[in-house]
Amino acid sequence: MQINYKFKDKFDIWFFVPIILLLGIGLIAIYSATLNNPIAENNFTKQLIWVGTGIIVFFVIYFLPTNSFKNIAWPIYIFSILLLIIVVVMGKRVSGAKSWLYLGSSLGFQPSELAKISTILALSSFLSKREVDIESFKDILLSLAIGFIPIVLILLEPDMGTVLVFITIFITMIFWKGISLFGLFIVLSPGIVAISSMFGALPFIATLVIVAVILIFFKRGLIFSGSLFAINLASGFFTDYVFRALSPHQQIRIKSFLNPMSDPLGSGYNSIQAKLAIGSGGLFGKGFLKGNQTQLNFIPEQWTDFIYSVIGEEFGFIGTVITLVLFLWILLKILKVAITTKDEFLSLTIIGILSLFFIHFMINIGMAVGIMPVIGITLPLVSYGGSSLLVNMALLGIVANVYRTRKNYT
Amino acid sequence: MKAENFGSQSRKSILYAVIIIGFSFLIIRLFQMQILQKGYYDLKSKRNSVKKIEKIPVRGLFLDRNKKLLVNNLPSYTIFITKADYDKNRNKLLEAALGLEDGYINKFFEKNKRYSKYFQLRFKRGVSFNTISWIEENMEHLPGVSYKVEMYRGYPANVLGSQMFGYLNEISQKQLKKLKKKYKQGDYIGSTGLEKKYENLLRGEKGYNYLLVDSRRKFIGKFKNGKNDIPAVKGDDLVLTIDSELQRVAEESLRGKRGAIVAIEPNTGDVLAMVSAPDFDLSKFANITPKDYLNKLNNDPDKPFFNRAIMSAKPPGSTFKIVESIAALELGLINKNTIFNCIGGRVYYGRYFKCEAVHGRINVMQAIEYSCNGFFYNLIYKIGMKKWKEYANLFGFGKKTGIDLDNETKGFIPDEQFYIKRYGKKWPKSIMASLAIGQGEVSIDPIQLAQFAAIVANNGNSFQPHLLKGYFDGQTNKYVEVKTKPIHINIEKKVWDVVKRGMFLVVNGKGTAASSRIPGIFMAGKTGTAQNPHGDDHALFIGFAPFDNPQIAFAIIVENAGFGASHAAPIAKKLVETYLRPKMNKNAVAANLTVNKNPVK
Repeated sequence: MQINYKFKDKFDIWFFVPIILLLGIGLIAIYSATLNNPIAENNFTKQLIWVGTGIIVFFVIYFLPTNSFKNIAWPIYIFSILLLIIVVVMGKRVSGAKSWLYLGSSLGFQPSELAKISTILALSSFLSKREVDIESFKDILLSLAIGFIPIVLILLEPDMGTVLVFITIFITMIFWKGISLFGLFIVLSPGIVAISSMFGALPFIATLVIVAVILIFFKRGLIFSGSLFAINLASGFFTDYVFRALSPHQQIRIKSFLNPMSDPLGSGYNSIQAKLAIGSGGLFGKGFLKGNQTQLNFIPEQWTDFIYSVIGEEFGFIGTVITLVLFLWILLKILKVAITTKDEFLSLTIIGILSLFFIHFMINIGMAVGIMPVIGITLPLVSYGGSSLLVNMALLGIVANVYRTRKNYT
Repeated sequence: MKAENFGSQSRKSILYAVIIIGFSFLIIRLFQMQILQKGYYDLKSKRNSVKKIEKIPVRGLFLDRNKKLLVNNLPSYTIFITKADYDKNRNKLLEAALGLEDGYINKFFEKNKRYSKYFQLRFKRGVSFNTISWIEENMEHLPGVSYKVEMYRGYPANVLGSQMFGYLNEISQKQLKKLKKKYKQGDYIGSTGLEKKYENLLRGEKGYNYLLVDSRRKFIGKFKNGKNDIPAVKGDDLVLTIDSELQRVAEESLRGKRGAIVAIEPNTGDVLAMVSAPDFDLSKFANITPKDYLNKLNNDPDKPFFNRAIMSAKPPGSTFKIVESIAALELGLINKNTIFNCIGGRVYYGRYFKCEAVHGRINVMQAIEYSCNGFFYNLIYKIGMKKWKEYANLFGFGKKTGIDLDNETKGFIPDEQFYIKRYGKKWPKSIMASLAIGQGEVSIDPIQLAQFAAIVANNGNSFQPHLLKGYFDGQTNKYVEVKTKPIHINIEKKVWDVVKRGMFLVVNGKGTAASSRIPGIFMAGKTGTAQNPHGDDHALFIGFAPFDNPQIAFAIIVENAGFGASHAAPIAKKLVETYLRPKMNKNAVAANLTVNKNPVK
């Protein structure tokens, strides 16, 4: 059934405007961040091209037939898994992690960015199948498999931040799908035990005790509960092994998150400098191109992961809050689309996109203000970077696309 | 099977809640950082990228009362070594280039080991330009070695002023603890004399330049185009009460001797000259002090660092007879016509006290003129111990004058209690006869004697002796006059007249200092010879001139020289001539003064 709607019904201008505003804020901040830095002097121009390309991508995706997303879900998933394998085998290392693929000599991109789209689509596709029961052990394992193949490959790069993004997407999607509290517990508990084990023996044991109590409370049979407990126990011990498997720079970053002042010139340095930049911005900021932290290049790579500190320093509380509100606006718009769409596949896809933006945004700003570990995650639409911008614009294009055709699926 | 939970209302609400909570969390954190703790982050951020460069202010000058330059600042090269960067293999090379003995650098590090190895140690001051050129050429072979132009003190007036001016030292750890706010390691601070006393005026205020540095500490430019820079404020230039010419002559007249000279302007309490001999050459301290010179000074038994003018209380000898004369006249025990018959000596309390001569029937003026001991032996028993001490204290003896130098001593005026403590209730009263002629336990600083001479010269009115007349504010260059405490001693004018006439006769009559008479200037004074149990007597002379309008009062002590008349009074003559002759010539032309008229008779 094709219905002709008015323009405003097909295209939500109030979804598009905050996107453009954030892209603009990003360009301004990147201009400021790279002005006095010879190694990044072309980044503003490059980003300008990426923004243009991104807007084109947004509209291309916007005009695609909505059902094509479901059709390309599996091919694109398999394609991106292949790319991830290629990266692990022959990728280029940037700051300790092998996450780049180069086409030719200068045009590099990160397959993990593409994997974000494909994993969301594949997982949505799987979860929206009529026969899938998220409460069944088999289907939980299958969805775990879909989610964890890219996660394991990215862990091998290794890129902690992206792994965290995938985990969040996965959890949010199975949550939206309707996993029960107990099911969520089964999925989450090994992770929680793993994290607590990093804080020492006592938190580890305490978490295990809580897991045991919950298992007894749900009364799911001795063998089932026992094997779940064993998995938890194993994951705690496994964490130590994984921690060692992490690259040294990530180990130090996790340690320095726990105590940033322990190494003020080392890995805690970025976090401290970013905080100084943001805090010293005050209410109105120091003014465009007037932030000493930014202009004197105190924050390494401030045009990517720490772009928010540039906004905080030069535009102050006003600037940071405007940025936050624009993001909040976009997120609520996305959630609204996810709710309105009655097609389960599309709804799940959009929830996946929502969780991706949310976790990127929370971790990136969280690490700039010193409440999250520095794990190298970009601020969507604002940070410098081609692959992430194109992927983010594509994801938002999907949301706009679903908005356009939302009434076809009611 | 489709789960009934898919996208349920509660799950929507949970997602909304998570998003809103996440946002609120970030907003609260941003509010805390950017609004509440802005100042904290601002400060840290500025420190981060803004380097503070200290500007050392120019230290205040010393000018004499006629604004003649006494102490100034001269530029010189100083070599610094930062131990952390220094290569010890360069010791030999550097020692040879600077003309230092082998092992000097190791000893230097040993001596300064309490300093951080990152601290720029001041290695050698006053290095020649040639040496600096050599260092500049070999900079790359001398890591950790640097040089800077620093100011050191210069003394252009041909005046030593050793103990009075004082010298500077690198601030000590102990001082630094107390003065952390204004000083830092390696700063110089006044260590003795006026340099110490007026450190706060002389120092000025440090300035700061704020430079922008990038994350690699590389200099990029001035912070806010220098808007926040604080220029250094020059120290205040001190105008001293000293007359440089008089000071120079006074110093010369004690050269090779031990002793002290203090000259004061009676009307104002201005100290015109202050000398303590032996003295030393401050200019050798300003730069690098040669070791042998320092050793010589430290080991000198005559203690050149010791300011005898304010720190060496000694029996005043016969100069003290003036005090007793005033006391007896003021108390009405005698008048100017009261006659005493000096028969060359007498027994007091079982001990015979002799006079230098048989002076016969004399009044108090003649007793001062001839310095008749007999007259005063007799007088002190009339005055009594209590009143004697009272009058001594009235004239400032036994207490600090309050001159603007540290470590002034009080001297000592004994009283009955003192002797009772020492000898018991029946202490020998014969001691009083010794006190009468300024011998025994009474001890007085030269500055106190000079102050006394000034008080007498000006009939009881003067000011606390002081060396600082005023200063030119380093910032505004305005002259600020320094006020001192006035002295008023209420004694009848006729008493002053009698005593001063006696002092007039000492020089201009047939008195003890008649040989030091000055043609054309009437000087009044009193000689003294203080017996010294450890050696030759000390020669003293106090006095003032001109008689009818005193411009200068003084006390002169030459240790172990013998008679005051023959060793101290001639110096007084020289000082008075030096100080008054140029003024008189000027005045004589201007006002056709009648200074040659004999005021007595």
